[in-house]
Amino acid sequence: MLLAHAVTLAEARSYVAALAGHAMTFEASAEYERTLLELDAIHGGEVPPATEVDLDERDVLYNVAEAAIEELVDHGVDALRVELILARLEDARDLDQP
Amino acid sequence: MTYGENGTQIRAGLSGLLRQHRIQHRLGGRGTHTLPETTTVEQRREMGERIRRYRAGALMWCLQAVEAANPRINLETFDRARRPAAELHHRLATSYLASDMELPSLEEMTTAQEVPIVESWRQIAKAAALGEHDFMAGVGHGRLSERECLTVLNDAAEVTRAIVVLDKRYANVPGWQQICERGRLRDAAEACSDLAAQHEPDFSVDSRGWRPPSALIEGQRLPGIGGVLQAQHNMLVHLSKPPNALNLRRVLDGQRIVSHEAARRASQVAPELVERWVKREQTYQALTDEARNVGGLVGDGGPAAAEAANAVSRLHHVHVNEVADPACLQDLDKLFIRIDARVASVIEEGVAENRYFVGVKVPRLVDAKDHQISPLRQRYVPITSPVQTDLLRIVRHDLRPASAVAAPVPKDRGRVELHESIEHRPQRRSAPDR
Repeated sequence: MLLAHAVTLAEARSYVAALAGHAMTFEASAEYERTLLELDAIHGGEVPPATEVDLDERDVLYNVAEAAIEELVDHGVDALRVELILARLEDARDLDQP
Repeated sequence: MTYGENGTQIRAGLSGLLRQHRIQHRLGGRGTHTLPETTTVEQRREMGERIRRYRAGALMWCLQAVEAANPRINLETFDRARRPAAELHHRLATSYLASDMELPSLEEMTTAQEVPIVESWRQIAKAAALGEHDFMAGVGHGRLSERECLTVLNDAAEVTRAIVVLDKRYANVPGWQQICERGRLRDAAEACSDLAAQHEPDFSVDSRGWRPPSALIEGQRLPGIGGVLQAQHNMLVHLSKPPNALNLRRVLDGQRIVSHEAARRASQVAPELVERWVKREQTYQALTDEARNVGGLVGDGGPAAAEAANAVSRLHHVHVNEVADPACLQDLDKLFIRIDARVASVIEEGVAENRYFVGVKVPRLVDAKDHQISPLRQRYVPITSPVQTDLLRIVRHDLRPASAVAAPVPKDRGRVELHESIEHRPQRRSAPDR
């Protein structure tokens, strides 16, 4: 994994983890967590650590998470799998309603 | 079978034999004038030899039990002033070797005997043979407390005393070979019994020993909450092999969801479980958060993660009002306790054996003259290093159950009965003891 790929993945992980932490419902939190697990799974469990994000705007977090995940295609990650992860992320957002 | 179950069978068999007198008659020999002789001398000799072989099996169990109770026993063999346990070990070994004993064959152990008294001996020998597994599975060196050691020692001493008493009683059986130095063996056993009597026994040793490994519940998925129990049980069985970090996280996540959903379904039927399960959900939530940066490629855990996902999926399909039997939820609670204990062990062992690492970003010294942004360096470090996470703290303080399963009420399991059978035997009326 090249440095740029690792930085992008770390960003994506951090934002999805933040979304799981700020989710309004248990179901949404669980779905975000599964998105994170899937993200890690397509990298074979070798992933850079997530860092805390000082932001609690869920819409903003969602947008930057989505952008970071989409960017993974540029680093050689299978596009179909990226799309599946994005679909799961969208499902999680649908559940994230109070 | 556990140590307690095998020991109970041995003691019950010996207690029964100690209540039987007129051994010749019980082997078909001549009894009173009204009872005819039904077996020949040769047949009785054959039965006597068979009983001797069964007796050898029981004595071997005693020898191994004394070794298990005293790990330093082999070091004391040449000590002139042997302690009671070492003395009993020495006497058992001497009697066993000097009496030219032969262990029963597999066929003799597994074939039911027609004559009840021989069958009783066979049951004792069988339990003794099965009991040998216990000494390698939890009833062994370094695994027993002082009181448990004394309990095992006392068990061996009482069984030895019973065998010595029976040895005298069988003296008239054709071809019977008595135990060598029987009197000294009895004295050594009595000394051990006296030593053990000075301390309170610890019968918790009865729950130790060999147990068959848990088996998977295979076949079609069970309907309703049964399917969840099936998946949780299977996950626990699969967790006997350590998972890699990713699958461990999947298991943790699955348990968090199962706890949450189960608590929702327990509010009507078993409200006493709700609080505990909500706390469990929070514990797994904290573990999931802490495990996000844990890495480690060693291990598998795929089947365990799959069963965890099955449990979640099946529980989602159980309607909130569908669970009407609190017993199912109690069973689920027992599984939760066992799973928590196992997950705690998996994490602790993984950390101790450096299977799991925590990913951290550490700053590095760079030349900042060019004012470029310098990326942080990422490293995986052992969880036991100074860069600590809260993972181990949560495992030790929140996850690991304080008392996994309520300890069973201690029972003497036939010990009193055997002791009374030895002590209250009728006095000899024939020749004095040899």
